[in-house]
Amino acid sequence: MLIAGSAIGYVWQKNEIYRLSQQIRQRELHLKQLTDGSEKLRVRLADLRSPVMLDQRVRELNLGLAPAQPAQVWRLPEPAAAPPEKTPVPRQLAARQAGAPRTQ
Amino acid sequence: MTKKLQYRRVLALTLLVCAVFAGLAGRLVYLQVFRHDELAKLAQDNTQREFREAPRRGDILDAHGNLLATSIPVKTVCADPSLIGTQQVAVAHALAPLLQMSEGELYPKLFVRVSKNERGETVTNNLHYVRLQKNVTEENWQKIQLAMGQFSPGADGKKLSRNDRESLRQLRQSAIFPEPDQMRVYPNGPLAAQVLGFSGVEEFKLDGRPVSQISGRDGIELALNSVLSGVAGWRVTATDSKKQELVALRDEDVQPRDGLNVVLTIDAAIQHILETSLADAMQKHTPRSITGIVLRPRTGEILAMATLPNYDPNTPATVTPETRDRVITDVVEPGSTFKIVVVSGALNEGAVKLTDEFDCEQGHFAFAGKTLHDHEPFGLLTTEGIITKSSNIGAAKIGIKLGEQNLYHYAWDFGFGQRTGVPLPGEVSGILHPVKDWSKVSVAQIPMGQGVAVTRLQMLMAMAALANDGWLMRPMLVSRLEDRNGNAVQKYEPQRVRQVVSEATDKQMVGVLKTVVSPEGTAPGAAMQNYIVAGKTGTAQKANPAGGYFDDKFISSFIGFFPADNPQVCISIVMDEPKEGYYGGKVCGPVFKEIAERCASYLNVPPDQNLQTQNPPRPVVASLHPKNYSQTP
Repeated sequence: MLIAGSAIGYVWQKNEIYRLSQQIRQRELHLKQLTDGSEKLRVRLADLRSPVMLDQRVRELNLGLAPAQPAQVWRLPEPAAAPPEKTPVPRQLAARQAGAPRTQ
Repeated sequence: MTKKLQYRRVLALTLLVCAVFAGLAGRLVYLQVFRHDELAKLAQDNTQREFREAPRRGDILDAHGNLLATSIPVKTVCADPSLIGTQQVAVAHALAPLLQMSEGELYPKLFVRVSKNERGETVTNNLHYVRLQKNVTEENWQKIQLAMGQFSPGADGKKLSRNDRESLRQLRQSAIFPEPDQMRVYPNGPLAAQVLGFSGVEEFKLDGRPVSQISGRDGIELALNSVLSGVAGWRVTATDSKKQELVALRDEDVQPRDGLNVVLTIDAAIQHILETSLADAMQKHTPRSITGIVLRPRTGEILAMATLPNYDPNTPATVTPETRDRVITDVVEPGSTFKIVVVSGALNEGAVKLTDEFDCEQGHFAFAGKTLHDHEPFGLLTTEGIITKSSNIGAAKIGIKLGEQNLYHYAWDFGFGQRTGVPLPGEVSGILHPVKDWSKVSVAQIPMGQGVAVTRLQMLMAMAALANDGWLMRPMLVSRLEDRNGNAVQKYEPQRVRQVVSEATDKQMVGVLKTVVSPEGTAPGAAMQNYIVAGKTGTAQKANPAGGYFDDKFISSFIGFFPADNPQVCISIVMDEPKEGYYGGKVCGPVFKEIAERCASYLNVPPDQNLQTQNPPRPVVASLHPKNYSQTP
């Protein structure tokens, strides 16, 4: 019985190893496909965002876009740094203080 | 008697059996002990396979993370000719269009080639392996797989013998197989070609199998090849008859270390602005070449750098000697732009004041047996006027006053005669002879930009020093190195080289350089509408290799920066043998202006308040309506 049980266990173990190794292989392949796909999309995105491509598209679509001239840009002065406000006392703390026993 | 005979027979049989077992045991000992290493290796070779895992080559990015160069996964399609049998014609016919090869080109590759090795033994081609095509996309590989899966030799499958059916099955499944590979691509085509350089494929053999890896050939690709390349990993494992890995028998698995990404200081948008403007100028003036550099003078960061003609790094066949990176590889006599060296040196030494007057001899000045000329006759000119009008004679006289040693010292301190240290291959140091090798006329010639040879980058860095309170900076092209997740591995900071002139001298020089773009100066065409520009023109006759100078060949240049009192950008434009005019101010000044205005708009540089036009500005907010948006003032 022991020998038979060990034999079956051994076969089951080998079978599991084979099954899991197949799974690992499938997942590695899947990961590789996803990584490769991601690379391609990244390059495609880079193509679409490239200044050369954008400039070409603007010309093709004849949108009449032109860079803003300096005189067209209104620059708002940065507001001066406001003085730090007095930190309001938190309500809970204030309530506790109100309800706290007075000490001499 | 019978018993005896039986005993003898048993004994003989026993002896025979023992002898057989002894023979077997001997054979076992021979195989397991004496030939153990050899046979163990053979057994291992039959089951174990070692795969090299190529690292991914790092990307090259611009300052904003835009991809300038990257690697995409592709396949190298290979064949096992021993499995193709006699089907070469049919396989070539099926695969040639998918591999983008002609059938005639593909057909001979599908045969088992027999050759003699170095020991004179007859061998078939390497391990049943031949490369058919590199850089095959995943989509194309799937089509190839489909074509091979449906491959039919023409005969009815049912009529094939059992052996033929098995051969056909192997041909379909295993005769054509892929190897992972990568291909270098430059999404912006020729943009910043000379900066990026290009790459090629390096072949070497590993365990008898050819291995290829991408290797830089020029530009950043070459200069930082070791950083970009990464380190290969490996996997020792076993494969089945279909060449599929048996993961359970995987022994060693060392992942490759990918190459680092290189983040440049180049801004792709400014590079595009520069290149399109240079291309327009190239069309208008048809010079042999035109170069442009855009730089932040405070840090030395190169925002754009271009040389035309250029090439597309995606097709290295377009690379020719004419497309070299002339910004750093070529030296020229700088002409009048070099006057900034002598005048700022003389001001710094107190040898002259801005108001000092020099007699410019009405355009002809005899010195040390030579006659120096101006482009037009001038009488008395102040030091400032000498720069404004670009008088050679005035500059020569300032040079004489400054003295040979001081002149050499300032030229050296401004970075001439030495490499700038930009991380690109092929940079030359230019020519600045030591004073002991000077002729008598050198002290008068060098101030007007003759007798020295400089690179375009050196000249720009000298001008940038004047835009940076007199501090010479080291040009920066690489901002940082990152891993694939964008974590900075190394950051590069701006580096000051030395302070060449004092801040006070620098302020005086900036004031002088502002006059160059005034109506009285040599480059009114470089003046911008909303920014004060400081700069200097240069028009140098080209040296004739036979001696002397050509009368009709010029190097024209304009180097300037803006806003003059708070410089954000320094730009150099140099044309080699322009047509339709040759004065630096005339041909290069307008190109500078165009690039500077587009850069100012892109970089959102605040205009100089005192140059703001009187016209009421039209806010961009009001232009958001499509009717308004298409109009520009």
